[in-house]
Amino acid sequence: MGVALPEPVAAALATRADDQLVQLLTPSGELVADEHFHYSGTDQDLVEDLRAMLLTRAIDAEGTALQRKGELGLWVQSLGQEAAQIGSARAFTGNDLIVPSYRELGVYLALGLDPVEFLGTFRGTAMVDWPTGPANLHLPSFVIGTQTLHAVGMAMALQRDGRVGNPNPDDNGAVVVYFGDGATSQGDVNESFVFAAAAHAPLVFFCQNNQWAISEPTTVQTPIPLYRRAAGFGFPGVRVDGNDVLAVRAVTEWALERARSGGGPVLIEAFTYRMGAHTTSDDPTKYRSAEEEAEWKAKDPVDRLRTYLLAKGLIDDAWLGQVAAEGAAQAERLRTGCVQLTEPQLADSFELVYTDTPAHLLRQRDEFQAYEASFEVNA
Amino acid sequence: MSTLTMAKALNAGLRRALANDPKVLLAGEDIGRLGGVFRITEGLQAEFGTDRVVDTPLAESGIVGTAVGLALGGYKPVVEIQFDGFVYPAFDQIVSQVSRMHFRSHGRLSVPMVVRIPYGGGIGAIEHHSESPEAYFAHTPGLKVVTCARPSDAYWMIQQAIADPDPVIFFEPKRRYHDKGEVDLDASAAPDPLYQARIARTGTDATLLTYGPMVRTCLDAAAAAEAEGRSLEVIDLRSLSPIDDATVFASVRRTGRAIVVHEAARTLGMGAELAARIQSECFYELQAPVLRVTGYDLPYPPSRTEHSYLPDLDRVLDAVDTSLAH
Amino acid sequence: MEFRLPDPGEGLVEAEIVEWKVSVGDVVAVNDILLEIETAKSLVELPSPFAGVVHEILAPAGQVVPVGTPIIRIGADEPAEAHPAEEGTAPSSADAPADAPVATTKTEDSGAVLVGYGTRAAVSRRARRHEASAPVPAATPAPAPIPAAPVPAPAASAVGAPAPADVPRAKPPVRRVARDLGVDLATVVGTGPDGTITAADVLTAAGRPPQDPGEQRIPLRGVRRAMFQSMTASLAVPQATAFVEVDVTATMQLIDTLRRRRDFTGLKVSPLVIFAKAACLAIERVPEINSRYDAAADEMVIPTDVNLGIAAATPRGLVVPNIKRANQLNLLELTRGLNDMVALAREGRVQPSDLAGGTFSITNVGVFGVDGGTPIMNNGEAAIMCLGTILRKPWVVGEGEQERIEPRSVCTVSLTFDHRLVDGEMGSKFLADVSTIMSDPALALLF
Repeated sequence: MGVALPEPVAAALATRADDQLVQLLTPSGELVADEHFHYSGTDQDLVEDLRAMLLTRAIDAEGTALQRKGELGLWVQSLGQEAAQIGSARAFTGNDLIVPSYRELGVYLALGLDPVEFLGTFRGTAMVDWPTGPANLHLPSFVIGTQTLHAVGMAMALQRDGRVGNPNPDDNGAVVVYFGDGATSQGDVNESFVFAAAAHAPLVFFCQNNQWAISEPTTVQTPIPLYRRAAGFGFPGVRVDGNDVLAVRAVTEWALERARSGGGPVLIEAFTYRMGAHTTSDDPTKYRSAEEEAEWKAKDPVDRLRTYLLAKGLIDDAWLGQVAAEGAAQAERLRTGCVQLTEPQLADSFELVYTDTPAHLLRQRDEFQAYEASFEVNA
Repeated sequence: MSTLTMAKALNAGLRRALANDPKVLLAGEDIGRLGGVFRITEGLQAEFGTDRVVDTPLAESGIVGTAVGLALGGYKPVVEIQFDGFVYPAFDQIVSQVSRMHFRSHGRLSVPMVVRIPYGGGIGAIEHHSESPEAYFAHTPGLKVVTCARPSDAYWMIQQAIADPDPVIFFEPKRRYHDKGEVDLDASAAPDPLYQARIARTGTDATLLTYGPMVRTCLDAAAAAEAEGRSLEVIDLRSLSPIDDATVFASVRRTGRAIVVHEAARTLGMGAELAARIQSECFYELQAPVLRVTGYDLPYPPSRTEHSYLPDLDRVLDAVDTSLAH
Repeated sequence: MEFRLPDPGEGLVEAEIVEWKVSVGDVVAVNDILLEIETAKSLVELPSPFAGVVHEILAPAGQVVPVGTPIIRIGADEPAEAHPAEEGTAPSSADAPADAPVATTKTEDSGAVLVGYGTRAAVSRRARRHEASAPVPAATPAPAPIPAAPVPAPAASAVGAPAPADVPRAKPPVRRVARDLGVDLATVVGTGPDGTITAADVLTAAGRPPQDPGEQRIPLRGVRRAMFQSMTASLAVPQATAFVEVDVTATMQLIDTLRRRRDFTGLKVSPLVIFAKAACLAIERVPEINSRYDAAADEMVIPTDVNLGIAAATPRGLVVPNIKRANQLNLLELTRGLNDMVALAREGRVQPSDLAGGTFSITNVGVFGVDGGTPIMNNGEAAIMCLGTILRKPWVVGEGEQERIEPRSVCTVSLTFDHRLVDGEMGSKFLADVSTIMSDPALALLF
């Protein structure tokens, strides 16, 4: 399992004030320093981060539009959370395992997943599957919080595989599991903290606190900041400005490296905001104010990075135009891919229940097929 | 051939599975140092180490959920739920996650894990320690549900369940843990397929369909019936999901009379499913309606009354009388 | 191309059009906002799936529109040149790179259910495929083709070993019929699907014709059987019937009197009681009425006492229980005895001992509203008396100059007798005596 490591950062985190979010880029686009964390990337990385966030936003917008046009039953928007998602994804290595919940579009895109691959879930043509997605990206979870236990188990498997605490970092891996503020109330999430602490598991708990669980603000879930929960279970917690892609990357890099080295679990609370609705079925005007949304608009993750990069001359309007065109092309590709998704056949479901399909299921399938065959086509 | 108690047979089967496949892990409350409250896992942590035989925190959902992650990570976890009545906190993980992972991933992911659950009454226990929740799991697509009735089956079935690529809920009749039986430990022995029922006793007048703790009860009843001049066939279903329809229907077609016996409450128990299938498939061969001898539709009662609650030889033979009177 | 109102929120069925953001003739790009709608849940802006020119707004602002209704038509060119070929053609995006594949929406004609429209509730059955009809014998005109839906075969399933050849296959109602008729199913040839035994097969094996759906068949059992046999035997006896019409007005008055008496409280007093008493009295004068024939001894037997049978309808049919030694009972006792017997019969609790040993019977068809009849004797007895309805009839009363017509209570009484034992004079005399007592009960004192 883990070796006791010198833990200056972890120790320091325990004494930070709640409003001392880790931040490296202010909402107005100025760099600031943090006592314990620094951005390890290059300027070019930042340009790439902005491009990734803009494309995520464009694809997210098209997903919403597809739902409004009747092509998808549902779309889960990531608007406003691009920095939390992309910043954390920048810290992954190929040895890490990523366990999402259901609002991690930026993570998927950063890992190279073709967004058309998971449209099927929202269109109703598939369960949850991306046939050619990254091998280290686990399926999303729509049941709240259950995936955190799975992530602990995966981390325990890495331990037994000898993938933790090796001298050569290339031999090490860890697990990152995503969940929201509301999920922290679930029994399974708390049990996962228990198990992760007991096993000293190589696991980063990444909580996207976007302030809302559908219509319930975080204050309904907890009277104390979420990151402080970790201390109760016996491991470090840190709150980072979730709209600051530099800070998110820095904190996640630290947490993952610590876990890979055998330092055990960390809880990262990315303090961000759900700019859109919970899903396309939701109407936030019913429970939150335009003032609050405007407040958070001023802290937008994309705006601040664009401001910084423009001011530093690392990008210009022509570049922004190109990215916009790229976004439009991606959107068109999504539209095309969506309507070309193969219609599922129920008959195919019967052999997907088990690895070894029992005889009675095959008979049921035959029954079903005979029944369907008894009708005129296009009846 | 060895004579073993069911507990010892399970212990031997788990030991063999651990020895044959380094990916097999055991996890559960008190299974390591203590060897389990029923001593099923006695000695295994000493032999295979704390990484492979794990004492878990006291959290059933966590036990099952982390096992899912281990299974996805390439391991074969065999978790123990300490008592039947404690499986409910893990119900969501089992029904929403374990049972569906293969289906929702379009067959790409599988969860080759086993959930071992001691079940059933007749041991004079306090509440929540004598449940028979097998129907909830047999009702859930994506799970396989089996139960052993004698030491020989315990030894082989646990190994087969562990080797199965699908998730298996493995019910162990705790009142039979100390029953002894012959077990062929020879590695070259060919056990019956896991999902096949066994004709525990052949007969001609009626078929008793049963499983787990009630198999012995039915065999005792059949022996007593023989003295009354009646020939009863006893089938140990062994697998509750999938049900071995072929064996069940062949027997009922021969005898024309079926009686299902289980401890679990009557309504919507395994008896209801068997009755539905039998009347649908053996309608023309039935001489009498399918009868059920079961626990009553009560929460499991105080142990001082459990002898009235549990099906016994008399209730089984009364049902046989009723069936034969048709 | 038509844009149909989608379900914006997982199962909503309609929305109100709040405001159109475009007008006819506007050029729109993909995703331009076309309109704002209000659903049960929220206000939603809907983007355009197509690029083109707005040809027609199909639903005005303020209208509530069901999901799936076309709300706007957008064409590739100016409205004046709109033509049907646009239906189902691909939308093109102004932004799309030249080599982007063209999408085909499935909204219009494919019949595929779009996301958000859920499943439609069926209001009629889907059309079934027509199977090719089997070759028909030339003699039979070919019937109209019937869609042959595959019906789950009632035969043995493919699962498990089939029943051994010696296990007869029959469904439970058929087994019941076999058991009732005492037929061993193992001996019956099954003509049902897959060799199953049908009810008709069992009936045939029992030597009985199968049921005609136009008739009801009732096995003759129990009381029905007894009546059948008794009547059959009775008609073998030479018999004759005599009639008398009796003015029973005085009897009716007597009954009124009796009903008001304290000792008759709670008892049902009916003319039948008086008839019963009259019959017992008349039998004293013509004891042959009460006789029977002992075939073994070839003798006529005349018992001393009258075990008076009363024909009664019970839930199970006609029975004739008798009151033992009715002749020895006074009127009150006789009334009680009759009441008890009627109650027993109504409850179906008549015992075999009540049915045995009768010597003479009375049947009352009057209660059914019938004037009279030719009764058939209770088996083994020599006579049976039948009472008709008591009617108000015009009757000649008085004598000489007092002779007049008055309404009187009149009853037709008939007597069927065994002419081997009772001759016409005896029968007539008996009837006349009964008539005398019924028309003037005080004359019972003469007997």
